Amino acid sequence: MTTHAETAVADARDVPMAEDEYARQTASDRPGVAQPVPERPVPNQPWTRITVGAIVLFVLLLGSWEAYWRSYGATPGTRNSEGLWAIQRRRIDNGEGDATVLLGSSRVYFDVQLPVWEKLAGKRPIQLAIEGTTPLGMLEDLAADQNFHGRLLVGVAPQVFFSGFAYRGRVLPYSRTESPAQRVGQWLSMHSVERVFAFFDPDFALATVLRRQAWPELPGRPAHMDVRKLAVTEADRATHIWEKVENDTDYREITRSVWRKEFVPGEDDPPRAKRDEKSKEQIARAVKAVAALRARGVPVLFVRPPSSGPFLEYENRNWPRAQTWDALLAATGAPGIHFEDYPEMQGMELPEWSHLTRADAERYTAALYTVIARDFWPERK
Amino acid sequence: MVFNSLTFVVFFACVLVLYNLPLGWTARKVNLLLASYLFYAAWNPPFVILLWVSTVVDWYAAQGLVKAQRQSARHAWMLLSVVANLGMLGYFKYGQFLLDNFTSMLNAMGVAYQPAHADIVLPVGISFYTFATMSYTLDVYLRRAAPARNLLDYALFVTFFPHLVAGPIMRPTELVPQFAEPRRANADQLRFGLALMTLGLFNKVVLADSFLASVAEKVYDSDKIPGALDAWAATLAFSGQIFCDFAGYSTTAIGAALCLGFAMPDNFRFPYAAVGFSDFWRRWHITLSSWLRDYLYIPLGGNRHGEGRTYVALMGTMLLGGLWHGANWTFVVWGGLHGFYLGVERALRKRFTNFRPGPIALILLGLLTYALINLTWVFFRAKTFGKAWVVLNGMFGLNALAKPILSSFYLISVALIVGGIVTTHWYMRARTLESVVARAHPAAIASVWALLAFAIVIAQGSGNAFIYFQF
Repeated sequence: MTTHAETAVADARDVPMAEDEYARQTASDRPGVAQPVPERPVPNQPWTRITVGAIVLFVLLLGSWEAYWRSYGATPGTRNSEGLWAIQRRRIDNGEGDATVLLGSSRVYFDVQLPVWEKLAGKRPIQLAIEGTTPLGMLEDLAADQNFHGRLLVGVAPQVFFSGFAYRGRVLPYSRTESPAQRVGQWLSMHSVERVFAFFDPDFALATVLRRQAWPELPGRPAHMDVRKLAVTEADRATHIWEKVENDTDYREITRSVWRKEFVPGEDDPPRAKRDEKSKEQIARAVKAVAALRARGVPVLFVRPPSSGPFLEYENRNWPRAQTWDALLAATGAPGIHFEDYPEMQGMELPEWSHLTRADAERYTAALYTVIARDFWPERK
Repeated sequence: MVFNSLTFVVFFACVLVLYNLPLGWTARKVNLLLASYLFYAAWNPPFVILLWVSTVVDWYAAQGLVKAQRQSARHAWMLLSVVANLGMLGYFKYGQFLLDNFTSMLNAMGVAYQPAHADIVLPVGISFYTFATMSYTLDVYLRRAAPARNLLDYALFVTFFPHLVAGPIMRPTELVPQFAEPRRANADQLRFGLALMTLGLFNKVVLADSFLASVAEKVYDSDKIPGALDAWAATLAFSGQIFCDFAGYSTTAIGAALCLGFAMPDNFRFPYAAVGFSDFWRRWHITLSSWLRDYLYIPLGGNRHGEGRTYVALMGTMLLGGLWHGANWTFVVWGGLHGFYLGVERALRKRFTNFRPGPIALILLGLLTYALINLTWVFFRAKTFGKAWVVLNGMFGLNALAKPILSSFYLISVALIVGGIVTTHWYMRARTLESVVARAHPAAIASVWALLAFAIVIAQGSGNAFIYFQF
């Protein structure tokens, strides 16, 4: 803020701009008067040539970038965005309140194959599972939504469900506050760039790509690797594991090494007692939500999809079945399907120990649906 | 809608086509007005009503001011405008804040009182357009300007989409005259306007959102206690983020207006090369600082009533300027710190009237200014005083329990980007962007333009709102 007198005083702060032919005053130079129409000069340059040159170079750069990611194995596809999740969530309030809804984290998201389910059930479920995120927020949301009176399958990945971790927790508030402009943007994106560009994927964004380079590690800071692209999604969020995870051994090793880092206990990890307390909190939340849903006649079924190898060991070590899964079913009174209890869900291939190959995801979905229809929701076909 | 979205790209393309149709000037202005309402309604359609209220109240207040014979009547019309605008702003922006403070005060006095949460949604850009419309009535009241000749021109001044939600805060005398005669951008204006939009979006999407925002978040939005390196890195990152975010918005807005043939004022002039705080405020958010000067500081007495009153006016202006940014006491402290800095600088200038720094001293004073501004950003960025103290303690090496938070990637990005921003500001300190562009080789301009556009696309921004939208 300057005063009349101060603006009039030329001092060392104000380097003269007299040699600058485009120099102009701003409102800060004209206190207490009506401000005139601003000056907005255009630099004297051959702008047509510059524009053409810029467009040509831009197209070349973009073409090269796209070619690089296609050679890496990427293909154009639907972006797993908040807007995409919101579209599926809206279906419940727009006439599909009686649908079967899938909640959970990445295992339900990647492993439950909607086309297989549709073939067996006659109707496609609504996929609301999302990676790295506890389904409890969504469970509570549906418990409070009187429009929903369908059926609910809730996936349980122990390290996410019982820790309350919500990497994509923003999807829920986003779906409630999504503006008309954001809805239009989602539509435009799905019908233009997502259909054309393979590089249009958060995993290939500039900052993400730079961040995962081999930067020097700092002493005292635990090493961390971001989870890499694991799946491909379609317009209704039908999803399966990315072929590169299945077929490219080097890439598969990268995805495994990301998990391995998670398995190493860190200084920031909560102590056992705190972890147990957190698990109890999550179970208490589930009890309340399930009770509200069941009071409305909505059947809730918990599902523990497969994991294997070091991942399963890590889960069993930190979230033992008796204190988590069994406690959840006992407290909520809801039924559950744990993959270890069903021979038909054994022997599946999980390239990075956490998610099924596409073929086995189809086999798992068929087995899961068969058990559900036989033992839990028999009248539904 | 936000500038950094696919929706805006399509919207702007449609606006350019519609605006350049061979129609009469009034029809083209109506097109612009309707497009601007659509631009605003795309956030939350009912809030367009607030925009209309602000427009209509100030239109009639200005008409009343012109017709009023007595001074008391002029006062009344002016007050109507101020009360209506500040009333809307007060309710939507400060309603919950006032209620919370009132509740805390009663509780401190031993009165148990807990009102229901008001759950008020803040209309986007309300702080900007209420200030723009108030400047219209106040300029007419102060006899600095004549009222607009017709409601269409006035409504378009209020609503013109490039400046509507985050400035630059325009005065009626800057924009209304531009609506008087038919206007179209020539080919060079269109191309330079597009280049400015690219530059603005690069600042926002690439520098602010993709690289700097996450660094500030990792320290300011986490429970971890930062050491000196992390606290400084996060604060420097925020200094870069808020500049790139807000200056990026202003540059995009100026470019969009230029594509339509309109001129908008500069809002930033390389502020991180400021030497002293009065210099900083002549370079940072110029249209707000000059608004506060003209409609608050000068009416409060300015420097016309002695030294003591000048300091009071200065501090009062900066405290209210802080509160303008957000309904939180941390913003008031941010404004208070700037008021304090300005006061100290003023006192030093009076004490050392003949001091003229040499080149080295100038740079050192500039760096001191930047460092002190960074201390104010701590209060601007932290959501609570507790967090602000933790970060400040970290910056001064007082957090004994600190553990490293930021990886080397984040530290290196902050060093490169913020270092680049400050160096650029010093290089550009006495220059204009236009003069540098005019002297550059055309091939270099084309290459830089293409690289900026390429970086925007591959950064894949997620359409994050601009920080200043919340103000």
